[in-house]
Formats: sequence, C-alpha cells, structure tokens
Amino acid sequence: MNQKQLARRRFVVAIMALSGAAGTALNPQLSLFSRAWAGSPGQPDEGVLAAMVRMARLLYPHDALSDEVYADILDRALSETAAGAAFAGQLDAAAAALDARAGGAWRDLDTAAQVEVMRGIESEASFVAIQATVQFGVYNHRDFWKRVGYAGPSKGFGGYLHRGAGDIDWLPEKL
Amino acid sequence: MARQYELDDDTVVVVIGSGAGGGTVANELAQKGVDVVCLEAGNRLTLADVVNDLVVMDQKMGWHDKRLGAPLWICKTVGGTTMRWSGVTPRFRDFELRPRSTYGALADTTLIDWPLTLEELSPYYDRAESKMGVSGTHDMPPSFETSNYKVLKAGGQRIGYKQITSARTAINSVARDGRPACQQIGFCWDGCAVGAKWSTLYTEIPKAEQTGHFELRTGAMAMKIEHDAKGKVRSVVYADADGTLHEQKARAVCVAGNVVETTRLLHNSNSSLFPDGLGNASGHLGRNYMRHVMSLTLAVMPGEVNFHKGTRQSGLILDEQRHDPDRGFAGGYVIETAADQPYGIATYVGGWGEEAADFLEHYSQIAGCWITGEDPPQAANRITFHATERDAYGLPVPVVEYSDHPNSTAMRKHADQRCGALYASLGARRIKSVANIGHGCHNMGVARMSEKPADGVTNRWGRVHDIPNLFVSDGSVFPTSAAPNPTLTIVALAIRQAEHIAASMSRREI
Repeated sequence: MNQKQLARRRFVVAIMALSGAAGTALNPQLSLFSRAWAGSPGQPDEGVLAAMVRMARLLYPHDALSDEVYADILDRALSETAAGAAFAGQLDAAAAALDARAGGAWRDLDTAAQVEVMRGIESEASFVAIQATVQFGVYNHRDFWKRVGYAGPSKGFGGYLHRGAGDIDWLPEKL
Repeated sequence: MARQYELDDDTVVVVIGSGAGGGTVANELAQKGVDVVCLEAGNRLTLADVVNDLVVMDQKMGWHDKRLGAPLWICKTVGGTTMRWSGVTPRFRDFELRPRSTYGALADTTLIDWPLTLEELSPYYDRAESKMGVSGTHDMPPSFETSNYKVLKAGGQRIGYKQITSARTAINSVARDGRPACQQIGFCWDGCAVGAKWSTLYTEIPKAEQTGHFELRTGAMAMKIEHDAKGKVRSVVYADADGTLHEQKARAVCVAGNVVETTRLLHNSNSSLFPDGLGNASGHLGRNYMRHVMSLTLAVMPGEVNFHKGTRQSGLILDEQRHDPDRGFAGGYVIETAADQPYGIATYVGGWGEEAADFLEHYSQIAGCWITGEDPPQAANRITFHATERDAYGLPVPVVEYSDHPNSTAMRKHADQRCGALYASLGARRIKSVANIGHGCHNMGVARMSEKPADGVTNRWGRVHDIPNLFVSDGSVFPTSAAPNPTLTIVALAIRQAEHIAASMSRREI
C-alpha cells in the first residue's frame, strides 16, 4: 500500500468517526492502519481529519454529496507532492482555531454553533485556503455536476445543438 | 505557398502579433500583393488542440510572462485573443466616436473625439462583418436562440427594451467560408473546438499564406524597433524560441501586441532621437488605458435554463447603448448573455455556507447576463515598467495601473438595477450582481489616435504621428472605449489601415 492509499484509508476512518461509527463498528484493520499513520510527523491526526471533513461540508453543504466526497477533496489536496505538507499544516491550524474559539471540542457543538464558530475564523489564512480548496473540489466534482444536471464538456458528443440547447418550458411569453 | 523571407529583405512589412489586429492587417496586405513577415510570440495550435477545459487551454495559449498590477486575460498564441473571445460584435454608434462633443468635459478624464466619423468607418464595418461571418448581418441569419437568450429576451421585453437581438456574433450561424455552423458546444470562450467562431488562427493566417506573400514566424518575441538617422523605422529585433536574437529589415512596421506589449515595444525602442520611446513625443504612450465597465448579473429563475448548453454569449440588448445624462453617467452599455460552469458560478457568488450552496444547488435554473460599458480615458490608468525587475526575456516587467472612474461606478449601479429588474420581472428567486468580472479582456487606448499630435500617439490611420512608416494595428489606437466589445472595430480599423498602407506604398510615400 503506497502513501496515497494509506492517506485514503485514514480518511475512511475519519468519515466513520464523523458518522459515529468509530469505536464500535470500526474495521480493526482500518484502525490499525490509522494508528500506524496518525501522528506521524507533519500529518494531521484522526480527530483533525474528522473535524475538517465536517468543516468541508459546512463550507459548501450539499445533501446529495456523501462525506466521502468531502474527504476525497481534502485527501487529494494532502496528496499533492508540492503543496500537501503545507495543506496538512493548514488543516491542523484550522482545527486548532475552531476548538480554541469553541472553548472545547468544536465537533461536539450543534450545527448552528459550529457555523457560528467558523464565521469567527473565516478571515484566517488556514480557513481561506481550505475554503478555496473545498470550493474548487465540490464544484468540479462529477457527483455535484450530476446532482444539478450540468453535463460538462460536449465536444466529444458533438455539442448541445440537438441535446437540449434552447430548451425552456416555463417562460410565459411566446418568443 | 507560405514564403520565407531573408532577414535583410527590406521590402517586407513586419507585423508584430497575429490576433484580431495583426492577423487582419497582415492578411489584407498580403491579399494586395504586399510581402509580409508576421512575428508571433506564441505557438501555432490546431483545432485538434482545442479541448473543453479552460485550465488546459490556458496552459496552451495564455500569456504568462511576469506582469504586476491589474491582471490581463490575454493570449500568447497564433490568433492572439481571437482564441479567447466571446465573438460578440456590435458596432459603435455615432455618438461614441464623438464622445468629447457629446458628453462635454468629463472631470478627471482625457476625453477626446475620434479623428474619424462613423460614416467613414461604416464601409469597413461591412467588410469586417462579412469577413468574420457576423450573424444577422449581410447574408447570415441570426444566431441560434439559446435558453439563456430566451430568458434575456422575455425579461428585456417585460421591462420595455426594444433592441433585443440574437444577431451580431462572429460565430457561423450557417456553414460558411469553409467553416461549419455552430454546434452549441459551449466552452468556446477558450477556443472554438470546430472553428465556427472566427479566429485569425484558421482564417486570416492560412489565407495570407495562400497568397504567397506572407511568412509567419512563431515563437518570435519582438524586442526592439530600430530606426534610421531620419527617424524612419528600418528593422525589428526579435528573440526566437531559443532566445537567439535576429534582426528583420522592414519597409514598414505594424505593432499589434495587445496594449501591454504594444506599449512595452514602443517604450523599449527609445533612442537619442526618441528618448521617451517611439511615438511618445506627446507623453501619451501607455496612458489612457481602458478596459470597459463590466458587471455580471446571475439569477435563479423559476424553471430550468441550463445555460451551459450552448454558446456563452448568444444575444444582446442594445437599448442602453446611448448617451442619456438623466441616468447619472455619460456614455452607454451593452447587455449580453453570460454563462459559466458550476465552479465559475461559485467563485462569482462568493462566500460559503448554506446561502452560497443554495445558489449553486439551483445551477440548472440560473440565467445570466453581463454588461460592457464605456470606460472613460484617464491619464493615470497606464502601463509603466518596473525599475529593476526583468522577465525571462530580460525585459523590464510591465506594471498595469488601473482604477475605476466615478462615471463607471454610477454606470455599474444603473446596469445592476436594470439587469436585476429584467430577471425579477420573470419571477427570479435570487439575484446576484458581481462587479469583479471580466476585467482585462478588453484592452484599449495606450497609443490612441488623435487629430492633434499633442493629444495622442497615432493619427487617423493608426500611424505613429512623427514616424511615417510605423503603425499601431490593435485596440491600443482607440481614443475611447465606447460600449461594444472591441474586436469588430479592431478588425474594421485594420482593414482600413491595410488599404492606407498599400496605397501609401504605391505612391512611394512609404
């Protein structure tokens, strides 16, 4: 298993922790991997990852997107060879800032309170960097495109001329 | 049929740049039998290189040399920014060529009238439209009506607009001139995948090559224009792709590098005879830089629009292209359809949380339009050069200084209100205005034409005032921006300039 796959596994763990599955239903093998990895130099620990997946969803909340999608976006940014280490630092910094402002575990707050705490740190560099990453990731994600009916590049199928261009059925005017 | 010319051949006209201005002036000259060497800093793409991915296209053709200040969104490739444009091609109106006479003295501007009239320009508009295949003009039908255009039209009618059209786009509405009709692919802001939208890459350049009077040199970055003791230009020094310098002799030179490079080349060609750069006796070179007032309106409509299906810009409202001081500003603006991918919309909507996500959740219902409006010339909006920083060519790094005039702020406010009302009239659920958009696409004014040499850099033909064989052939020569997208007017002026250069050559004046 390479570094990237390992990182991927860690996110699965983080997602399970987020959904309350940690501890009971957690696959022992996964947790083994995560224990081997978590806390290694320059890498966010499981708690940080779970908090950041939660923050990613609250940044751009779309019910149709699974936690996997948000985790995947953070995972890809962490896996980038050049910028990955810096991004890991930003995740740590944002998680610490959320907890500090919450006066405890930010993840334990209810949604409204979590969002309020996020507002309080939204101008911090770590938050801005994560927001930009999640925004890019969510709105270029095929799952989001599918959800909103965005069909994307059309050169391959010859354009939209005979595939819906000009179709509109709710305008009151006859044009 | 493409020719090759010797470096010491001093009978050729050297054209710098291969976009709307350079590509057109080069082909028009070659068609008249004038020998032309065209220097293009970028590479030559083919239609097969065009993909529906703006990040990839920017890597292939964007201009990435170091610049400071306000960003410009232009290209380093054969075809220049005709590879990155909407194709929207309305004409200027009469008052827009007489802005100083029409608006009066506008505070903190350097407003002047154009040294030519609409009557004089009109035949060249005809020829430009015919050349480019502008929809709804001459023998071409209007463009296909996209759903986004249908919303614009219905809303426009509801709030009283009369001049609403799907014409005036330089995208083939029918197969013509060896190019296919538009297939509503979209993404064509960064290169039309089938060549239905006019670009000099696959029109003017190959046509010029077929004449046997034209050579295109790619990867050729013009560094300096040299002149003789009398002040006539005689050659152009350029760096090839390996950085090796060459000197091409010339009978005349046409500069069309888009505003920054046009300024930099004339500025760097200074000499004891022209200490402040070529054409800068008036001090106007690099000043009066204009980029249009722009603003985007996005609206979540009651039903599906799917504005990604088809061309981004497919229709216009021209009612506000007029001068009416009662609106609280001088000059006018044009309303045009606009669309983007989800990520683009997310960046325009801005922010985060439920509100931002909700807008995007309704992506399929979003309709959009933007405006381009007249941007008054200001002396302080200008291209300068960094005192010490050098780019990869060893040239001083350009600095682009730009700020809005209060007239532009007032115009934008009016436009946001009107465009918002347009969508509200059809029951829009959410409306969002975005001011920070599109800047740096339309670049004009740094070598403006003027009747009096003291007021500008070039004369009514785009010829540098005090140099008989040096011309500027891009949007740099615009004395004012007017409201419309600039490309049609750049092409019309280039056709007119080529006619003038060829006639001057036959009269032995050049």
